[in-house]
Amino acid sequence: MDDFLHTFFDWHEIGSVLPTLLTEGLGNTLLIAALAIVLGLVVGMLLAMLLLSTSRWVRLPARIYVDVFRGIPAIVTVSLVGLGLPASGVQPFGRSPLGYAVIAVGMISAAYCAEIFRSGIQSVPQGQMQAGRSLGMSYLRTMRVIIVPQGVRNVLPALTGQFIVDIKESSLVYLLGLSVGQRELYFIAQERQAATYNSSSLVAAALCYLVITIPLTYVVNWLDRRLRDGPSTRRPLPATAVAEELPTSTATFAPHDDLSKEAKA
Amino acid sequence: MSRTVISVQDLHKSYGTTEVLRGVSFDVHEREVVCVIGPSGSGKSTALKCLNLLERPTSGSVTVAGTDLTGPGVDVDGLRARIGMVFQHFNLFPHLSVLANLTVAPRQVRGLSKDEAEEKAHAQLRTLGLAHLAKSRPAHLSGGQQQRVAIARALVMEPEVMLFDEATSALDPELVKGVLDVMKELAASGMTMVCVTHEMGFAREAAHRVIFMDEGRIEEHGTADSLLENPTSPRLRSFLSQVL
Repeated sequence: MDDFLHTFFDWHEIGSVLPTLLTEGLGNTLLIAALAIVLGLVVGMLLAMLLLSTSRWVRLPARIYVDVFRGIPAIVTVSLVGLGLPASGVQPFGRSPLGYAVIAVGMISAAYCAEIFRSGIQSVPQGQMQAGRSLGMSYLRTMRVIIVPQGVRNVLPALTGQFIVDIKESSLVYLLGLSVGQRELYFIAQERQAATYNSSSLVAAALCYLVITIPLTYVVNWLDRRLRDGPSTRRPLPATAVAEELPTSTATFAPHDDLSKEAKA
Repeated sequence: MSRTVISVQDLHKSYGTTEVLRGVSFDVHEREVVCVIGPSGSGKSTALKCLNLLERPTSGSVTVAGTDLTGPGVDVDGLRARIGMVFQHFNLFPHLSVLANLTVAPRQVRGLSKDEAEEKAHAQLRTLGLAHLAKSRPAHLSGGQQQRVAIARALVMEPEVMLFDEATSALDPELVKGVLDVMKELAASGMTMVCVTHEMGFAREAAHRVIFMDEGRIEEHGTADSLLENPTSPRLRSFLSQVL
């Protein structure tokens, strides 16, 4: 038991690696993850638009992209992009592996985001598009102003899951080799573990990941509820309205909460 | 006779092998209220949606305000902006407040500023007695309120024609009157209206002309009085005996 505790929870070991994890690793992990998430969202939304096209020739390339990048292990994609591209002479980020990691994780994320967005957009009732078009808005404008905001709201919990995957996959950059200053959480921890044969540094890194991922879930859930209820309901109503207005207190919103919980379960 | 606003010629619409419209022709004149009645599945909603190309006719022509909608290179969006439409299921934008439901098209289509659009929207809501709902979300309104907001949303674009697709069919019976009252006031104000409806009382009271459709064709066509009081075709007689 002492061996077990010593291997995983050596407080001295954790205490000595934690400053590096927090000052260097956390920032780099967040940087890779945040840029990959943004890339995944932007490319994913574009792919979703293509997937929703009525023309099969527009859908086809997007379909192939999604199937390919969802079907390859992340570690293979990261290796192909991070080791293969620079070796082949394509070096948009020079020798810094962080840029290649962002591209690789972002490209994978885009494939999943595309499917998430597509399902969200398709869950918006057809009447919404008809209403937007009947007011004279173009297809793309109706998409942007009416359909996509509702569709994205419908899939916020699924997107959170994808963000968490992206944060975790940022650790795969260790394959590409990192120099001091570029190291992210996992790289620092496994370097240390290799030197000391003690896994406590990995436990410390794990805790750092949880510190990012668990609050993220709750922040998005909070945002989700806020968007559903709408900030406008918070405003006081004019006195004349009170009689005709439905109660705006928690009672009205309870069913919403139940539904969103059900959807997540 | 006043100006023809809508002219429909020999409209056909098929889904695969199913013929929904089999040659429908009619005109609507300025300031006229035309009600389209008929059993469900008769093609009346499809015909209405062909008037702003939410449904594309298989053949035939639809001319609105002198522009052939089915012709090549027509600015369909520009024309739709001049044709208001009210749907059976309201189709309000649930993620926007009532006020934003009204301002979205003036801002996006007409390019009004937020302030200009909100001023117009508030004025429109006041006209329909909905001013106190401006900040509410559609989900917190009754069906009748939602439908009146939907009418306001269409009217704020200052359309030349209003299309109503069974605007009261999804409402609880006690909420129907409020919406019909708005429609009657609109009719009295001189708005050109085409209403697909099951409300024979409204047709009798507000419609200048009534079109009876059955199986994708216009079976009978005339003034509200002549059609509803003295139906000639056996199909209309049997339809009226069921709904009246």
